[in-house]
Amino acid sequence: MTKTTHPLLKVLMYLLLIVGAVFMVFPFIWMLSTSLKTVGAISQMPPQLIPNPVNWDNYVTIWNKVDFGRYTLNSFFIVSIEMVGSLISCAFVAFGLAMFTFRLRGLIYMIMLATLMIPSQVTMIPTYFIWKEFGALNSYYPLIVPSFLGGAFGIFLMHQFIKSLPKELYESATIDGCSPPGIFFRIYLPLCKPALAALGVFTFMGAWNNTLGPLIYLQDKELYTLPLGLLYLKSENVNQAMLMAGAVITTLPVVIVYLFAQKQFVQGIASTGMKG
Amino acid sequence: MQKQGYWGYIFTLPFVINVVVFLLFPIVFSTYISFTEWDLFNAPRWIGLDNWVRVLNKHEFWVSIRNVFMFALIFVPIQTIMAFVIAFMLNQAIRAKGLFRLFYFLPVVTPWIAGGVVWVWMFNYQYGVINWVLESIGLDPVKWIDSSNWLMVVSSIAIVQVWKGVGQSMIMILAGMQNVPKEVLEASQIDGANGWKQLTKVVFPMVTPMVYLVMILSTISAFQAFDVFLGLFGSITTGIPERNMVPNLLVYRDAFLLFKMGPASATAWLLFVIILGFTLFQKYFEKKWVHYD
Repeated sequence: MTKTTHPLLKVLMYLLLIVGAVFMVFPFIWMLSTSLKTVGAISQMPPQLIPNPVNWDNYVTIWNKVDFGRYTLNSFFIVSIEMVGSLISCAFVAFGLAMFTFRLRGLIYMIMLATLMIPSQVTMIPTYFIWKEFGALNSYYPLIVPSFLGGAFGIFLMHQFIKSLPKELYESATIDGCSPPGIFFRIYLPLCKPALAALGVFTFMGAWNNTLGPLIYLQDKELYTLPLGLLYLKSENVNQAMLMAGAVITTLPVVIVYLFAQKQFVQGIASTGMKG
Repeated sequence: MQKQGYWGYIFTLPFVINVVVFLLFPIVFSTYISFTEWDLFNAPRWIGLDNWVRVLNKHEFWVSIRNVFMFALIFVPIQTIMAFVIAFMLNQAIRAKGLFRLFYFLPVVTPWIAGGVVWVWMFNYQYGVINWVLESIGLDPVKWIDSSNWLMVVSSIAIVQVWKGVGQSMIMILAGMQNVPKEVLEASQIDGANGWKQLTKVVFPMVTPMVYLVMILSTISAFQAFDVFLGLFGSITTGIPERNMVPNLLVYRDAFLLFKMGPASATAWLLFVIILGFTLFQKYFEKKWVHYD
């Protein structure tokens, strides 16, 4: 922490920080405010910050008519499965990389880091083709199956953590007659909780906010996730108030998760510098 | 480390499958497709370099490159400088740090489409709150993302991207700053360095690796921009107007709306080459200003 000397400088800093914070938060306030306006009020000049009257109908309408209830359930369903898959598989692979010596270890580790740099657009079309050949288009398989095969970011995160655990744990468990998978599931996985929490938040955010995957793979409206539902709503030319109600529903869960799991999230970013 | 090597293979097997199926095969296959005419349903037909030539001769490809280039040129410096300034301020003895950090970080977790629709509404020419603010202080309303001037459109989108991304970059730089040892700062203070000297001669050089990383990641994300353009302009049914095109949207449109897999693959590879070029370019200048150890 550096010391600021001049009090005037400090006032200037507060001012800058507050202006910045308003810039960051205002869109959320505006989203919420607009979502509670009547059709007449949305185009009123000057715009009202606090809607009067408060109109909850927008939420009711899109919840019932455009099936946002269903999109919400779909999103939660996909996200839960992706979280289970990614937490187990990333820790599993990371355990293998961290605990054993084998010939291709270095190569696999290198490839893992390299995959972070290949843009997904290059692999997108062949991947789509694979799922088409499997007859899995218009289903959740393309979205959830890869999460069970470990992702580079998660493996990297777990690998760093497992390496920091004492090696004697493994030795003593072996002497007690535990097999490597047993050691992983019974001893290491529970110990990885802090890293798993960070990865869990990242996976939640990534899966919840994913637009491109559902956009490509899902055709039936009943299968839509929230971001896709919102994009669909946008194409339907509904009024701004309803669109903002949809935006609030799409944003709220991930913001709540973030508020509760801030620490894990911030540490995850700070320690790896990667995004989920 | 344990000697029973086969366990290593067993544990890493899921990822090896992942790499072979979803990375190696797609890379080879995508290269092949870029030399063929293919609609995803009938057999691919070899046409040599035609796709590449066609893409490179297409006006919209160059429009998309121009857009994404300017977008990166505006977005990356603004985001990096803002992230550094905010991180520096939040690293001072200041109240409500946690709250500020929370606010700055909120857009990072927000789904792009939700962020996109609210910004479109705020940018609205007639009813948008931004123009209302401008008018109430006596300025003329601005056609932000509806402007006929593409540079205006791209700049407006860059601002939205900064809103979305600056929190993440800020956290990374802040983490770097918190690793600057107190002793070093105290020593510099005893030697008579004032706040500005400390910032430029001690703090900045020590966080250059993080600033560099932020720049690289911002550049990559700028060239890969997809969600921000989709969120602001996109619609499932009508796609996106050509003048707001970026390469990634071009790939998406060619592949999944027009079923032209060949040009889409060639475009994706060209984009990859451009990103790689820029990353190497930044890497080349790295040793001039980034200090390690």
